[in-house]
Amino acid sequence: MLRQVKPKNARAKRAMEKRAPQTHENPKTTLFVAGQKTSQILKLATADLRTLKKPFVESFMKKNDIHPFEDASSLEFFSLKNDTSLIVMSLHSKKRPNCLTLCRTFDHKILDMLELYINAESFRTLQQFKNKKPAIGLKPLISFHGTVFEDPNQTKWTLAKSLLLDLFRGQEATEVDVEGLQYIISISAEEPEEGKTQPQIHIRFYLIKTLKSGQKLPRVEVEEMGPRIDASLGREQFPDPDMMKAALKKPKGEEPKTKKNIDMDIMGDKVGKVHIGKQDFKSLQTRKMKGLKRGRTPEQDTSMADADTDDVSADGDSPTTPKRTKV
Amino acid sequence: MSDTEMGGVTLGDQLVEQTNAMDIHSPPATSKTAASMTESTLTSRRPVTVEKPTPYTFDLGNLLANDANPVQLSTSNPEETLAANARDAAQVLINQLLSTCELKSTTDGVHLVLPAPSTPLPREKSIPAEKAPTKWELFAKKKGIENKKRDTKLVYDEETGEWVPKWGYKGKNKEKDSEWLVEVDEKKERETGEAHDARVESRAARKERVRRNERKQRANERNARKTT
Repeated sequence: MLRQVKPKNARAKRAMEKRAPQTHENPKTTLFVAGQKTSQILKLATADLRTLKKPFVESFMKKNDIHPFEDASSLEFFSLKNDTSLIVMSLHSKKRPNCLTLCRTFDHKILDMLELYINAESFRTLQQFKNKKPAIGLKPLISFHGTVFEDPNQTKWTLAKSLLLDLFRGQEATEVDVEGLQYIISISAEEPEEGKTQPQIHIRFYLIKTLKSGQKLPRVEVEEMGPRIDASLGREQFPDPDMMKAALKKPKGEEPKTKKNIDMDIMGDKVGKVHIGKQDFKSLQTRKMKGLKRGRTPEQDTSMADADTDDVSADGDSPTTPKRTKV
Repeated sequence: MSDTEMGGVTLGDQLVEQTNAMDIHSPPATSKTAASMTESTLTSRRPVTVEKPTPYTFDLGNLLANDANPVQLSTSNPEETLAANARDAAQVLINQLLSTCELKSTTDGVHLVLPAPSTPLPREKSIPAEKAPTKWELFAKKKGIENKKRDTKLVYDEETGEWVPKWGYKGKNKEKDSEWLVEVDEKKERETGEAHDARVESRAARKERVRRNERKQRANERNARKTT
């Protein structure tokens, strides 16, 4: 842990404030780290991922002797120093060839990790597809195909889905330009069958082309733009439930308060429902008729002084109150 | 998709030669697209709807579509299936976006207003702790005192007929420091036995108020640290 120091000047103070936990978070930055030994495939793959992830990227040029599943403390330190919460580590070995480890941190502590062993034979780079690439920093469309990603339980596949979505989704936005919907990331996996090896995860990037369809909605066609990554899933580290719970907490006052009893009808008119209390029928003024008037009670007759006042106020049902008798 | 059949990618010296061989050129409007649109040619309208046994689920805040249908890839041409799946997902997602999201036209183009993301994704850092209320804030709340809105720091100086700042450089609260003529408080002078100077006194009082405020700030910070 770094020392908690008081900033000595305004610039340092601003920088520290930027790094402090915030209610509305900045988009996650990804750090690319190379292990002690990498391969050409890994270099090309990470280069392509970096291009696609721009501008939220940090990368290390030097090699680091880190094995995340044995000791991830170095990665935690990198996360703290560089303020990155996604780490992509590339490490090649005989046992785990072309291994890309996706790590995610929460409060600069490792939350979860997953290994992807890239299939060298089917791998293609961004440059090998000769077409126009989308502008940097665009929010991609993402699709997951396959039943494995929809598993209600926590599996390797759901972890992969969560990590890849976090990695590729880009900036959180309330609005997107229609022109900015330029490419789709399609991630698919076949059904796992018993007795066979685990199916591979297919990560594909396609450019989207919209054509006129003669209807209101356009006809969409896709064209692959690369990179093309097929990978099998390796070791994983699931998130600690308590840590995940803390990480999934939503800040208070985020959700807009729903206004009660105000609706919009089909025509788009604002309709409000107003509740008024129960009507008091006793105080209701009905038609005044002589016949409905209460007659004088015998008691009132005895007190002659009150007789006149009662006649005027017309509420003859109250017999002489103590106050009145005084008068 | 014309996928070039290359064996293991042995990269290195031969990389340059190989990459040319492995280059994938965008296909011309080929039979594949025509084949998938056989129906549409009949109606002269390209279909924009996608029928799947399990319907898609969406998270429009993340521009995400989930397709829970099982994927079956043929060994001969898996790319075609993947591309077809991606096309369907893109079509459905764009249909969904254009039909459910509000469109906003601005000077820099047509914008889609997205709903909040619904897929739970972990935060980067924990939620910042709420700031502990200061002693004044507690007192003000108890008494029901509300913040007075201070629009400007300028006040009108009737003598000069100008607007001057209440505090700071050439502030109104400093005008007593530089009066050219001040009355001597004889009573005070008699009590203390020193020459009374109202200018010095006003400056000292102002400085003391600042120091007092700083003391209070420190005390509040200390209390906040104790409670958390």
